[in-house]
Amino acid sequence: MDYRKRLFTHRKLYDHTGTETLFVKAAKCNVAFHRKHCSEYAVILADRRFRFKQMKTIDDLYKIPVLPTLYFKSHRIHSIPEKKMLIKATSSGTKGKKSHIGFDAKGLFYGAFMVLRTASFHKLFSLKPVNYILLGYKPDKNNHTVISKTAFGATFFAPAIRRTYALKPSPEGYQLDLLGLKKALLRYSRQPVPVRLIGFPSYLYFFLTELKKAGLQLHLPKSSMVLLGGGWKQFYTEKVEKDVLYALIEEVLGIKEYNVKEFFGAVEHPIIYCDCKNHHFHVPVYSRVIIRDVNTLLPVENGKVGLVNFLTPMVESMPLTSVMTDDLGILHDGKECGCGLTAPYFEILGRVGVTDIKTCAAGAAELLGGAQS
Amino acid sequence: MILINGVMLDSQKINTVLPTLEKQICRTLQKPLLSPLLVIEACDKLAQLVERGTYSDLIDQLCLESQVSPEQVTQVIRMFRKESLLYKLKTELGSNYDKVQSGTPLYEKHPIHKRIMPLGVLFHIAAGNVDGLPVYSVIEGLLAGNINILKLPAVDQSFSLLLLTELIRLEPILAEYIYVFDTLSNDIAAMQRMAKCADAIVVWGGDTATLSVRRLATPNTRIIEWGHKMSFAYITEKGLTEEALAGLAHHMLSTKQLLCSSCQGIFIDTDRITAVHQFCERFLSILDHASENYPPITIGMQAQLTLLLYNQELTARADNKRIYKGKRCNITASADQKLEVSFAHGNCWVKALPRENILSRLHRYKGYLQTVGLLCGNDEWEVLSERLLRAGATRITPVGDMSRMLCGETHDGDYPLRRYTKIVEY
Repeated sequence: MDYRKRLFTHRKLYDHTGTETLFVKAAKCNVAFHRKHCSEYAVILADRRFRFKQMKTIDDLYKIPVLPTLYFKSHRIHSIPEKKMLIKATSSGTKGKKSHIGFDAKGLFYGAFMVLRTASFHKLFSLKPVNYILLGYKPDKNNHTVISKTAFGATFFAPAIRRTYALKPSPEGYQLDLLGLKKALLRYSRQPVPVRLIGFPSYLYFFLTELKKAGLQLHLPKSSMVLLGGGWKQFYTEKVEKDVLYALIEEVLGIKEYNVKEFFGAVEHPIIYCDCKNHHFHVPVYSRVIIRDVNTLLPVENGKVGLVNFLTPMVESMPLTSVMTDDLGILHDGKECGCGLTAPYFEILGRVGVTDIKTCAAGAAELLGGAQS
Repeated sequence: MILINGVMLDSQKINTVLPTLEKQICRTLQKPLLSPLLVIEACDKLAQLVERGTYSDLIDQLCLESQVSPEQVTQVIRMFRKESLLYKLKTELGSNYDKVQSGTPLYEKHPIHKRIMPLGVLFHIAAGNVDGLPVYSVIEGLLAGNINILKLPAVDQSFSLLLLTELIRLEPILAEYIYVFDTLSNDIAAMQRMAKCADAIVVWGGDTATLSVRRLATPNTRIIEWGHKMSFAYITEKGLTEEALAGLAHHMLSTKQLLCSSCQGIFIDTDRITAVHQFCERFLSILDHASENYPPITIGMQAQLTLLLYNQELTARADNKRIYKGKRCNITASADQKLEVSFAHGNCWVKALPRENILSRLHRYKGYLQTVGLLCGNDEWEVLSERLLRAGATRITPVGDMSRMLCGETHDGDYPLRRYTKIVEY
């Protein structure tokens, strides 16, 4: 029985109760596959004394040994030959080291179901052609960051007339072309078709602040949208609250808050999370989220802060079944949101150590280096 | 905030201040040289105010957040005192630092004159790992007679500004010698404008910081680098005492292992891994016991530490490592002899390094070595310290005193005032 297929073709996107048993079975199969095909993972399972018979219910998922994203930055492990991986991607490498992740054909096929179901549920599809402004990297043969690939992928939710990029490759590296972006936006604002702005919230904020300073107040055509993703990364010190950003979007672009969608994803955990109308990331059926105690790494109850552990049986290319990012977060009961979805939702509070790290070796180096990353 | 001519301005004003910066600096350069005695008097007054508790609210707050310890405050007060700074000045630049030396060079008929002069303008890019370091960097620049432009580290915005404003209030002449900007490091254009005005850039930080600064500076700007140094302890069986190990534990915990002089790990004079394991067991209980005297770290730091340790655990067997877990501290016994940065906050590594291999193993880290805390028998001290210094270390101390601050001490083997001055001839 292909439990992975059943999970990824499940019709209800946020049906946690209806998929609990299925998820556990799919996760067990996925772990078994990686144990058989990835010797390093098999050693980790043995060292952590993992036993399949311990995995009975959804509450046992935490027993699957978790791999931190940090691990993938210094170890290239896989369960299928690298040459068989269809898409290879890297993390953005904000702190220097990057994870190199590859995906198997079947995993990508199921991923396509997930994208279709998510985009359809959140009403991202449109047959009406649109002009795109991408506040990120222009795809380039030298750029394998997952964010550039997903941003490009998002331009297929509605047929593209034109795509304009904020960061363009040049012999000196990527250059921020704010002037070009401004010209394109002004041109698009005079056309009758919707505009979609896609990219990092930091770049959007900086761009809109510039436009506001220049006294621009646009009214982009109806059903124009803003699709955000990728977080604030090295610009964390300049991060603004969501409502400030949404107010600025409405003020400068004339796009209402309900047409601003935010995505969450990590290259080591290829599940797409799209925010609800209250801007919360509910967990779809394809994954589960566990928040772990910062000392013991044991699961904490909902509402408590801890390390964020994502689980999904989506890929067979690499043992990404249970990964832990270097973020601190909280998992909330779905019903606390009020949007109508009952699946739990998570909140990312920020990177571990980021706000209070002060070391001799990393201090100034990191602050200065941040400008180049 | 930014500080110009003793006046605090909003950070947004940077674009109106920077275009006139060079003009203002040239105006100051036309004036007679700044007397170090003026600087010393102002610092002494500042130290007295701190001692009398004028800034106790702020300092208590910093102590409360465990950013500084009361002992560190006492040390800083001592460093700012008149006698300390005079001692520093004379040790680093000589007793005749302000005198013109005249003499006839060998083979010549006519005398020439030599004197010590400031480089002119220093642009300090300070690191945030020690509170007060940016201020101390500026004071060293002032002692040498320089005009100082300080770019504050992101983590220190108020403490340095307060101290420098107070210094100017106590000696208003210093106003035109101190410029402070809270510019972000990624504002390359602003950083370049500041760098353009400077004769030298003083950079505190690691290789990445230095490389970034090199990109900022024009070829005629000198770069004075401080930092990215590592320190460790070297222990022999003869030196082992509970008291000394407790001193080492307190040193690690009080500095949080964040300073260049903080102990990152311990090399044991042995070639037996079993001796390393025995030491780990013994030291872990001492370290854990000592940690009860220090406040717990923040949740963010704890999470980072747990992640790093867990990640290390995953590959410990393959990497030939054994992790000794305590209540709050952890020690990693490792079979290699690499000098590494620890996970800090009461987490260190222990490795075997027989004395015969000190030079062959450590010389590759030349330029990165700073303090070695040496714990050995009295009869071993001379030969071991000589060997460690030859390997590249610049300071040997007892294990509990690795981060001590002494008057007239070198910094990474150099006298800062010598680097901030030049010898001119006429």
